[in-house]
Amino acid sequence: MLKLINISKKLGNFALTDINIDIHDGEYYVLLGRSGSGKTQLLELIAGLNDPDSGEIWLNNKNVTKKKIQERNVGLVFQDYAIFPNMTVFGNIAYSLHSRKPGKKVINQKVWQVAEEMNIAHLLNRFTHNLSCGELQRVALARTLITSPRLLLLDEPMASIDASLKDDIKRTLRHLNRKGLTIVHVTHDYREALSLSSRVGVIHNGHIIQEGSPAAVFRKPVNKFVARYAGIKNFFRVKFFREAGRFKARCDGNLVFTLSEDSYPSEGLLILRSDGIKLYNSEPLSGFDNCFKGIVKEIIPSEYGMEIMVNAGEIFYIDISVNDFKILQIGESSEVWITFPPESGIALPGSV
Amino acid sequence: MIKYNPFNWIILILSSLVLLFILAPLAGMLLDTTGKEFFETVKDREVQESIWLTLWVSFAATFFFAIGSIPLAWLLARKKFPLKNVVQGIIDLPVVLPHTAAGIAILGFISRDGFLGKTADILGLTLINNPAGIALAMAFVSLPFLINSARDGFAAVPERLEKAALTLGASRSRVFFTISLPLAWRSIMTGFIMMFARGMSEFGAVVIVAYHPMIAPVLIYERFSSFGLKYARPASVLFIIVALAVFILLRLISIRKKEIHISSDAETY
Repeated sequence: MLKLINISKKLGNFALTDINIDIHDGEYYVLLGRSGSGKTQLLELIAGLNDPDSGEIWLNNKNVTKKKIQERNVGLVFQDYAIFPNMTVFGNIAYSLHSRKPGKKVINQKVWQVAEEMNIAHLLNRFTHNLSCGELQRVALARTLITSPRLLLLDEPMASIDASLKDDIKRTLRHLNRKGLTIVHVTHDYREALSLSSRVGVIHNGHIIQEGSPAAVFRKPVNKFVARYAGIKNFFRVKFFREAGRFKARCDGNLVFTLSEDSYPSEGLLILRSDGIKLYNSEPLSGFDNCFKGIVKEIIPSEYGMEIMVNAGEIFYIDISVNDFKILQIGESSEVWITFPPESGIALPGSV
Repeated sequence: MIKYNPFNWIILILSSLVLLFILAPLAGMLLDTTGKEFFETVKDREVQESIWLTLWVSFAATFFFAIGSIPLAWLLARKKFPLKNVVQGIIDLPVVLPHTAAGIAILGFISRDGFLGKTADILGLTLINNPAGIALAMAFVSLPFLINSARDGFAAVPERLEKAALTLGASRSRVFFTISLPLAWRSIMTGFIMMFARGMSEFGAVVIVAYHPMIAPVLIYERFSSFGLKYARPASVLFIIVALAVFILLRLISIRKKEIHISSDAETY
C-alpha cells in the first residue's frame, strides 16, 4: 500500500534519515515519537507537501515521489485541524468537491452523508470559530474523508481534545480502519498506539528505531527511548554476569537481579515493566528469585490505580489497582517486599 | 480608568499637544473659511474637475498596480529566494526618496526619450501632462503602502491552511483565490486605501510630470502662488472634506466585509 524506501530529508539542522516503512492495505500504523522527532515532516513528505532529498515513496505499487499532491489521493488531517476560518462547516467539507465540479445536488448529498457519519450534520451552516476542538476535528475528518482517500494520515489527532472525547474519536478511527481505510497516525502517546495500532514504528531524531506489533515493541523495547515511550519507568544500570548456572545483573547500588536469558552483554541497562512487579506488605513465604525489602517513599494516584515508589536499594515504580492498594493497607514509610519473575527483565546493551 | 499621578499627567499633556498640533491648523483653516467662499469654490468648475481627476486617477493607479502588487506581496510573504532583502529594499525605496526627485526619475522614464515614453509614442500616446503620467507618478510614491500591508496580510495567513487546501486537491491558483486572498483581504484593503490616499495627496512627483491637467494638490499650490492664502484656503478645505469622506467610505466598505477570525483558528492548538 505505502512503501517508503530510504527516505532522507534535511530540514534546517534536523534531518530524516534512511526511513524505510512498508504499510499494508488496511493496516493501522502508529508512528510514535516525541515532538521534534520528525513525525509531522514524514507525513508531509507522504502527502506530497514536501519532496524528499533522496529515496522513493510508493503508493499502491506506483512510484509517487515526483507526483503532485493533488494526484496522490492521500488525506491529511493536521494537528490543529487547519479548518478554513473564512468558510462555514459546509464550505469546509465541500471544498475538495468544487475542484471536481460536480452538480450542486451531488455536493449537497455527499456533504450530508459524510456529516451524518461524523455526527456534525447539525453544524453544517455554522462558521467555524465557535466550534469546540472535538467538533473541529470531526469537521477536519469529514473534509478529508469526502475525498475518499486511499490512505489517511493523522497528525496528533488527540493532542488537543478533552480526555472525555478521546474514546469517541478512537471509536470513529477504529470504525474507519475496519471499513478498510489504511491509516498512518502520528502521536507522542504510547496509549494511543496500544489502543489503536496494528503496527507501531518508533521515530527518534529522524530515525525509525523500532518497528513491530504493539505487543512486541512495548514488551521488548530495543532501547531506553522506546522503553520511555512505552511508559516504562524502571531503569537500572547493571553489569551482567553468570553465577552458579544462573544469569544475574548487579546494579550500581549492589542489588543483584536473577534473569532468564543468556544473550546479555557484559553491561548495559535493565528495564522492568511496573506492572510486572508484585508488592507485599509482609515477607512472601515461597522462595522468589527476585525478592527485595524496601520502604514506600511515595504513593501517587495514577490513571489505572496507584503508582507506588519504593526504595529497596534502588528506586522501583510499581502499578497496583486501587483495590489491591486497599487490601495492602500501606502508606508512606511502610515496610514492603517486592518480587518479579526473572523473565520480566529486559536487557539493553550499552549505556543508552 | 487612568489614575492621575504625575507620570500620567505628563503623558496626557504631551499626547494632547501632539493631537492639537494636527488638529489646530486644520481647525484654523476651517474657521477662517467663510461659508460664502466655500460654496463659491464648490461651484467652481475648475476645482470640481481637479478633485474628480485626483480621485479617479489615484483610484485607477491603485487598482491597476494592485493587480501586479498583490502577487508580489504574496511572493514576499511566502517564498524564500536569493536577494529577497534587496527586493524588499527596492520596494521601500520610494518612501525615502524626495518626491520631487521621484518625479524627475518618472519624467525621464516617460518622456519621449525614455523607454515607456517611446513605447507610448509608438501607440500615439503622450504620457507627460496626461492622466496616465499622473497615475504613474502617484503609483511610484505610494506603492510601498499597498505591497507592505498586503505582504503582512499574507504572512499572517497560517501556511498550514494553504497546505490543507492543497491536500484536498485544490490547485495552487485555487488555494490563492479561496484561502490566501480572502484571509489576507483586510490587510490588502487597508493597503489599498493607504495607497489610494497617499496617491491622492501627492504633489511633488506629480507637479514635475504634469502641471496640467491639474490635480487638486497642484491646483491648491497654483492658487496659493498666484492669488495668495485666502484663495487657496477654500479649495484646500473642500479637497480635505472630499478626501476624508472617500477615506471613511472606503474604510467602512472594507470593515463591513465579513470579519475573518484567523486568530480563533490558531487558538485551537
